[in-house]
Parts: sequence; C-alpha cells; structure tokens
Amino acid sequence: MRSTRNVAGTENDAGTGHYSDPPLLVLASLASGPKHGHAMIEDIAGLCGTRLGPGTLYGAIARLEQLGWIEPLPPEERRRPYRITAQGLHVLRAKLKTLELFTRAGLGRLEAL
Amino acid sequence: MNRVVAHLLTRLYPRDWRERYGEEFEALLQNGHGDLRTSANVIWSALGEHIFPTRGGNMDQHINSFGAIIKRPSAFLPLAMSLTALTLVLGHVAMFGAVREADEGTTAHLWQLLMAGQMPVLAFFAIKWLPRAPRQTLYVLALQTGAVLASMAPVFLLNL
Repeated sequence: MRSTRNVAGTENDAGTGHYSDPPLLVLASLASGPKHGHAMIEDIAGLCGTRLGPGTLYGAIARLEQLGWIEPLPPEERRRPYRITAQGLHVLRAKLKTLELFTRAGLGRLEAL
Repeated sequence: MNRVVAHLLTRLYPRDWRERYGEEFEALLQNGHGDLRTSANVIWSALGEHIFPTRGGNMDQHINSFGAIIKRPSAFLPLAMSLTALTLVLGHVAMFGAVREADEGTTAHLWQLLMAGQMPVLAFFAIKWLPRAPRQTLYVLALQTGAVLASMAPVFLLNL
C-alpha cells in the first residue's frame, strides 16, 4: 500500500497515538456503508482522530480502486460515493486481525514493564 | 475552500487523474477547509501523482510517464554519475582546499571519467526516448543538464 505519511492533520495535538494508514482507514470507514470523500474524512476523524487531507484521501481511493478493494457508485451531483468490495472486506478483516495480534502482544509487553 | 483555489489545486494533478477524479475531488475541496495545511497536502499529493501516477484508477505505470522514464538506467545513470562527480569535487575541496594543482590528481581523473562517461549514455537516452515521449524526456534531460552543471560549477568557479 502507499506511504502513510501524507496525513494533513490529527485531532490529537500531541501527535502521538494517532493512526495513519490511509488505505486501511478508508477500508474501515467504508465497512459501515458507502460514503463519499467528505463523509469518509469525517467518519475516519470520528473513528480514530486522524483527519486525512483530501490529497491523501484520494491517493488512497485511487489505489484501492485499482486493487479492486473498493468500487465507485453512481455520482450524487458532483460527489461520488464508494463502497467496499468483497475482496476489500477480506483484506480489511485480515489486516485488522494482524493488528489485533500486534496490539495484544505490544500491550502485553507494556504491562510486563 | 474558494472555488477558484479548489480548481487551481485540482489542475495540479495529471490530466488522466483529473479526468477520473477531478470533479469529485474539486467538490470535496470546495466543501472543506481552505487552510494552508490542506493546500500543502494537495500540492504534495499532486506531485506524488506525477511521479507515481495511478492514472485514474490504473495503477500500472504508463511506460512513457516521467516516473517510468526516470527509472530507466540511461536516465538515472547520468544523474548518479554527475552527483558522484560533484561529491568527489566537494570532498576534495573540503579535504585539501580549493587549490589548483599543476599535476592532475586521481580526483580530477575520476571527475573527468565520470563527466565524459555519461555523455554516450545521455546521447543514447535522448535518441531513444525523445521520439517516444518528448515532453517527459525533456524534463529528464533538464534534470540531467542541471546535475552536469552542478558538478561542473565548483570546478570552474573555484578554478580547480
């Protein structure tokens, strides 16, 4: 997946604890139903406090669409919603499971300190 | 964001990308904040799209795109040779000072080899790629020329 550095901002002022993997964030956002760009930005901000910049968001959208993990729906006026595909759901599930294992292991180590 | 600014920012993206995402992207920009951070994010992403284009949902890089051409050995080798030559000169000046020597040393010979050696590669690159993708090739040639001039500059400016 593409680099995750181009995140325009985060609501977390300290800059720590925010998660910035735009493609994964987009997939997670679309898991709750089709959304257009602005709705995705707001949803992701509510989900983890990370506010994706429009350039970053569309960089992720273009690549996810190419990979066949999301697909466009007919436009509503000038905005186009996207939805996650079955393949995208599969990838999201696999990635979140890996993250869960990683998180559990990491927190376990912190508790041992 | 201001409509004109949103339009101008969208125009920074490659044409293929704009044809696919331009309208919805511009609508998104108009809907959002027009702060400096957003503009910087768009500028940076547009630049990335020029270098590693998704080409409107097609991630396979077009064979004649700038990003694809600059990765060709005949494109990046002259750049690398010029930068190596520049590093040699600057390293030599840093160690021994900007003193003109009567007898040309190893550094001078290496510099000459690097500068002369890249000329056939440059010529090959121009002959091969100019007819296929003139605009992108000219960008690469401009970069290569800049690198050549940069590596020649200290030699002539310091009269080495």
